[in-house]
Amino acid sequence: MRRGYWSGVWREFRKNRLAVAGLGVVLALIAVAVLAPLLANNRPYCYVTEGKVYFPIFYDYQELRDKDLRKDEFRGFKIFPPVRYSYSEYDLNSIVTGPGRRHLLGTDEQGRDLLARMIHGSRVSIFIGFIAVSIYVAIGIFIGSIAGYYGGWIDIVISRFIEIVMCFPTFFLILTILALWGPSLLSVMVVIGITSWTGIARIVRGEFLKLRETDFVVASRAVGARDLWIILRHILPNALAPVLVSATFGIASTILIESSLSFLGFGVQPPTPSWGDILSQSRDFMDFAWWLTFIPGFAIFITITAYNLVGEGLQEAIDPKSPGR
Amino acid sequence: MKKYIVKRLFLLVPTLLGITFITYLMIRLAPGDYTKLQLGMEGALKSGSISKEILEQEKKLYGLDKPIVVGYAEWLWKFARLDFGTSRKDGRPVAQRIADALPITLTLNIITMIIIYIISIPMGIISAVKKGSLYDRFSSLLLFVLYSLPHFWIALLLLLYLGSGEYLNLFPLGGIHSDWAGGAGPLVRFLDFCWHLVLPVITLTYAEFAFLARYTRANMLEVINQQYIMTARAKGLSEKKVVFVHAFRNSLIPLVTLMATLLPGLLGGTVIVESIFSIPGIGMLSFEAILSRDIPVIMAITTIAAVLTLLGILLADLMYSLVDPRIRLEAKL
Repeated sequence: MRRGYWSGVWREFRKNRLAVAGLGVVLALIAVAVLAPLLANNRPYCYVTEGKVYFPIFYDYQELRDKDLRKDEFRGFKIFPPVRYSYSEYDLNSIVTGPGRRHLLGTDEQGRDLLARMIHGSRVSIFIGFIAVSIYVAIGIFIGSIAGYYGGWIDIVISRFIEIVMCFPTFFLILTILALWGPSLLSVMVVIGITSWTGIARIVRGEFLKLRETDFVVASRAVGARDLWIILRHILPNALAPVLVSATFGIASTILIESSLSFLGFGVQPPTPSWGDILSQSRDFMDFAWWLTFIPGFAIFITITAYNLVGEGLQEAIDPKSPGR
Repeated sequence: MKKYIVKRLFLLVPTLLGITFITYLMIRLAPGDYTKLQLGMEGALKSGSISKEILEQEKKLYGLDKPIVVGYAEWLWKFARLDFGTSRKDGRPVAQRIADALPITLTLNIITMIIIYIISIPMGIISAVKKGSLYDRFSSLLLFVLYSLPHFWIALLLLLYLGSGEYLNLFPLGGIHSDWAGGAGPLVRFLDFCWHLVLPVITLTYAEFAFLARYTRANMLEVINQQYIMTARAKGLSEKKVVFVHAFRNSLIPLVTLMATLLPGLLGGTVIVESIFSIPGIGMLSFEAILSRDIPVIMAITTIAAVLTLLGILLADLMYSLVDPRIRLEAKL
C-alpha cells in the first residue's frame, strides 16, 4: 500500500521536466561532493614506472612523497584525475589568472585552482545541507508528533515553545551562538539544526491532529496498540510526505544560510574551502577578477535552484491540486 | 473580539518570558568562564585595566555571580527599563547605540516592504488570473530564479557593475551620506540619501518580492476556485469586479499575516546587506558587535529583535481576526 503511494508520487514527479532536471543536478552535485578527492587531486590515480605500479591517490607511498608527479621528469604511464590540482595547492607564479587552458576556471590570489576549490567546496554545502536538515527534521518530527498525538496541555505547552523559538530571527540567533561558541563545521550544523525545526514541528503536529481521529488509528487503539506503535507505524508514515517537501526546501535554505555565514567569516574555517568563503575572499579582487565573484555565487545559485525545483516538483506530485508554493 | 485580544495579550506573557529566558541562557551557557570568554576578544579593550572594570560591570549586569533565576530576574528588570549596559567598543550606553541605528534599518525595511507589496501583489494577481498563459509561465520562472539568487552575491555584483568605477559608476559604494552633502539643503541631502539606498533596497527587495508574488499567485488561485467566485461570475458580474472585489479581497488575508513573518527575515537579511554596503543600521551594528564580541550589544539586539517579532506576530493575528470574521467567531487559538 505504501509502496503504491510513493510510486504514484514518483509517476507524478516525473511529469515535471524542470523538477526532474533539478533532481539530476542535485544527484550530480552529490556525486561531485562524494568523489571530490578523486575529481580534483594533484596525484595520479595510477602511476606505472620501471615495472612498478603505484596508486598515489589512494596510498601515501614513502618514495613518492613530496614529488610532483605531474612534471615530465617522472616518466611512465600516468592516469590523472580530470582536475590536476588539489584545493590547497598554491602556485605563486600564477596568481589571479583568468579562466584558461591551464586553469579552467582560473586561480585565486594564492594561485590555487578555482575549479579544484569549487569541487572540494561543494562538500561543505552538500553535507551541511543534509546533516543540518536531518537534525532539525528529527527534532521537528519528535516534538511535533508528541504535541499532535497527545494534544491537551502538552500541545499547549509545546505550541508556546514553538512560538518562542519562531520569534528569534534565526539568522541572527545563529550568528550570536557562533560568536559565543566559536565557528566550526560542527557548530554551524548543530546551530542550524536546533534553530530551524519549528516549521517541521508545526507541519507534523497538524498532520497528527488530523490523522489521530481517523478510523485506522482509532481501530488500532481499540485493539490495544501502544502509543509508540500507533505513532511510528500508523500515523508517521502518513505524515511524511509534507515533511519531505519541507525538508527539500529546507536543504536549499540551509545551503543559503551556510554560504551566507561563510561569506561573513563565521562558517567553515580555512583551509577547508567553501563556496561562501571563496566568494568572500573575492571581494578584494572583485574589480578585476570577475571569475572569483561570479563562479562561486553561480554555483550556490544553481544548487539552491535545483533543490527548490525538486521541492516544488515533490509538492505538486504529492498534492496535484496545490498551485505552486 | 475583546475577549480574544485579552486572551492573546495574556498568552504573550509566557512567550515573552520564554524569549528573554532563552536569550539569558545563551550567555549563562556560553562555554568557559565569562571573563575568559572576554580575553579572547579583539578590539579596543585588549589592554588590561579598563577591561577588568568593564567586565565586572557586565558580570553585574547579567548577574553571573548569582543563581540563574535570580540573575535572570534582575537582568530582565534592567532590560525592561532599557538599561542594556554599555557597549564595549566606545563605552556608550547600548540603548543609545541602538537608538542611533534603529531608524536607519527601519527606514530601509519600510521602503523595502512597500516596494515588495507594490510590485508583487499585481504581479501575482495577473499571473493567477491568466494562469497558464505565456506571461504566467515566464513570470513564474523569473520569480523562481530571483528567489534562489543568494543576496550577498547579487549585492557584490551590483557593487561591481554599478558602483565601482570599473564598469558603470552610477551609485555610491556604501554609506548613507556623501561627504559633500553635509552643508547642502535638506532636499539635496534627502536625494543623496535615496541615491545611497538604491542598491541596498534592490538587494533586499528582489528575493522577498519573488516570494510574495508566488505566494499571492497561490492564494489567488485558491480563492478563484471557490464556489462564491463561480457564483459571482454566474450572476453576471464583470470579470474586473469578480477579480478585484470578490477574489482579491479574500486573498488579501494571508498577505496580512505574512508581513509579520517577513520582518525577522528582513532583519536577518540586513546583517549582510548593511555590512556589504556599510550602512550604519542595526544589521551592521550587530555584525560589528559579534565580530568584536561586544556582548551587551549582542544580547540587547537579539532580545529586542525577538520581542519585535513577537509583537509583529501578535499584530498580524489581530489584523487577521479583524479582516476574517470566521476567526473572530471561533476565537479559538
